[in-house]
Amino acid sequence: MSGRARVALVLVVVALALGPLFLTPVPPSEWVPELWGSSFGEPRGWALTLRELTPLLIGGVAVWLALRAGLFNIGAEGQMLVGACATGAVALAPAFPGQLVIAIAAGVLAGALWALPAGALRTFRGGHEVISCIMLNQLAFLLTGWLVKGPMKDPNAGGATTKMLDESLRWAPIAKFGRAELDWALPLGLALMVGLWYWRKHRVGGYELEAVGTNATAARFAGIPAEMVQFRAFAMSGGLAGLAGALLVVADQNRFYDGMTSGKGFDSLGVALLAGANPLALAPSALLFAALNAATTGMNQIGIPKGLSGLMLGGLILLFASASQRKDNAHE
Amino acid sequence: MSHIDLRHITKRFGSFTAIENVDFRAEKGRIHALVGENGAGKTTLMRVLFGALQPDEGEVHIGSEAVRLQSSSDAIARGIGMVNQHDSVIPALPAWRNLILGAEDGPWLNQAAVIERAEALAKPLGFEFDWTAPAATMSPGATQKLEILKLLWRNAETMILDEPTAMLSPADAEGLYGTLRQLAEGGKTIIVVTHRLPEVLEGCDEVTVLRGGKLIESRPVAGLTAPQLAEAIVGRSVEAPELTPPNLGEENLVVENLTLGHSLRDVSFSLRAGELVGLAGVDGNGQRELLRSIMGVLRPDRGTIRLQGLNVTKASTRARLGAGLRLIAEDRYQEAMIASWPLVENAALGQHLRPPFARNGRRDLAATRVAAQAMAERFRTKFVSLDQPIGGLSGGNQQRFIAGRALADGGGVVLAFQPARGLDLAGIDDVYGALRAHTRAGGCALVVSFDLDELLAHCDRIITISHGELRVPAPEQARDREAIGRMMLGEEA
Repeated sequence: MSGRARVALVLVVVALALGPLFLTPVPPSEWVPELWGSSFGEPRGWALTLRELTPLLIGGVAVWLALRAGLFNIGAEGQMLVGACATGAVALAPAFPGQLVIAIAAGVLAGALWALPAGALRTFRGGHEVISCIMLNQLAFLLTGWLVKGPMKDPNAGGATTKMLDESLRWAPIAKFGRAELDWALPLGLALMVGLWYWRKHRVGGYELEAVGTNATAARFAGIPAEMVQFRAFAMSGGLAGLAGALLVVADQNRFYDGMTSGKGFDSLGVALLAGANPLALAPSALLFAALNAATTGMNQIGIPKGLSGLMLGGLILLFASASQRKDNAHE
Repeated sequence: MSHIDLRHITKRFGSFTAIENVDFRAEKGRIHALVGENGAGKTTLMRVLFGALQPDEGEVHIGSEAVRLQSSSDAIARGIGMVNQHDSVIPALPAWRNLILGAEDGPWLNQAAVIERAEALAKPLGFEFDWTAPAATMSPGATQKLEILKLLWRNAETMILDEPTAMLSPADAEGLYGTLRQLAEGGKTIIVVTHRLPEVLEGCDEVTVLRGGKLIESRPVAGLTAPQLAEAIVGRSVEAPELTPPNLGEENLVVENLTLGHSLRDVSFSLRAGELVGLAGVDGNGQRELLRSIMGVLRPDRGTIRLQGLNVTKASTRARLGAGLRLIAEDRYQEAMIASWPLVENAALGQHLRPPFARNGRRDLAATRVAAQAMAERFRTKFVSLDQPIGGLSGGNQQRFIAGRALADGGGVVLAFQPARGLDLAGIDDVYGALRAHTRAGGCALVVSFDLDELLAHCDRIITISHGELRVPAPEQARDREAIGRMMLGEEA
């Protein structure tokens, strides 16, 4: 594509993304500062963005892992939700020693178990994981919804939510900047990401994962048990998504409520796809999604519907994705 | 006046000159051979004639008229047709639809009318087809005949065939040249691009030799000998390899009563340390299934496989690779390499668990680079950097690298599926030379090839496979080309 055509294309996408905002009754003098202020502005914006960032980063790590094995874990949303629900259930049980650790482990396990049927169907029977994951997502919505409207419901609350966790089971923030809070979940997510990077580059397991994801037949001829590698990667992906849900409960919301993941698992797909082949790109990718999510929340508060700002978000993601794709092609 | 007359053709790709100032003429009624090594410019020249490439310099004359071919459709409109090296039939479609594919005369297909005209074209050549059967059920020989009919359907006067006999048995190859002769006598201009010198000497009238993008000579075949032709192609004299008798040792690979559906029937044979064995057969007669069963990628219904004395019938592919089995796979893109990966990453594939590539699950990237460099240099792979994707190399260079990998550590049993595929004479000598050196150092190797002459020239002994049945020629027929050729077709030797 010629340089001029490229510029024109970018302008079209920007116009499509931002254009609708001019149609709202809210004047640009209000929403332009809000767009920035609610994502990176001090201090409210950072607070919103940071809260969005952690689950997207860990969810992104989860989806990325499956993606490199050649599997599309569209079930991350459901796995995150059952992970959060399981963690909430254990954390709200009568106190016992090691409750916090076991609660988080329960979230990881629940996520992994929720991924298992889809992983097994795909690797051992050839059933497409996208179809089974979409069905498992529905089951997760319905099951957790029923639990939190029934057995797990806080009798004193009006909505479908559990009680708040005991103070001792909440992760205290490690730092506060105004209203922005930083808790251990974010460093943990970053550590997972760096760990994944190291594993892929320096461990035989990471090499085999890449081989299976890129060319499963060649991997089989090289003695790599491709089905087993895929199955394990998918279960691990589910476990990591479950962890993202667990941390949402213990580090952020301190309770479980109906539909609390609110699309973060689906956004994780975008985070992982945008990051491409390099796991270290998951952090900036998650930051972009987090900031845009925070911006739509902020703009909703000044009267711009989420649907409209979501359109803008989609346009911007398209722009970033095509930019990163172009770089990928230049490598080949 | 020649029917086809290419004058002073030069074609460059960037800074690389693929062909330089090449003249090429072909007459009506003659079979013209175009020969040369990999990268000599044969295919480039033919693609210029077929309109798929536009020359940077030079003129194309067809029937004494100067033409500018902008695309293949231009060439087809001027009566030029080309059959590619890899067959272009769609297996799921019936023969008649493959025949007209891309040359339909409207949105409606009239099966009866198509078959009527197809029969009229096929009959004079003695071809018989089941027009409504899917192309997948056709033999390689029949597929090749269908390709020729496709050109006739498009009213081709000039027919270019790129390696038409690569997948054919000797008998089918002879049949093909019979057909080509008939077509030439009917006034067609036939151009055959080939690596097989006996075909040139026996089946063709004229020969043009290219080397390094330049015209070496163009002359009648009459009076030419095989060594002269080989020397013209390579640029130095070529001697047939001397087959020293092997120094036989233990049975390193023993296959007993291997059965897999209808593909393999009670196959038994053994390889001893020190020998290079050729498995001759027409494509699709069970070679693929046999090698995959030995690798452990396919599970046979019955039978046992012993590797270096160990029963590995139920072992994983990984365990077999660990026991010294190595494969030069049939399908480079699907089985042998990961095309988007750099050479250095492909170097470890298969042995990636073991030193020097890894220790205790930790990869040794520095040692991997050293090993990759050695693999690339082993057969003079032409590459820019170990970090370039292997898919970007030419097919011949990919094959050199993969052969280098399989033979890198002197493993015990090498299985090679068409190891010389896509290689020129020098490359073929390199690879077979290395396989021989490997066996003389105490290893053994089984080579599958569809080219019986290639196997006869390089292997210690030859076994044949036909319809999944493996047969060993009687000692007095061990090097009898005709007898083995009949066994390849499942006939009595």
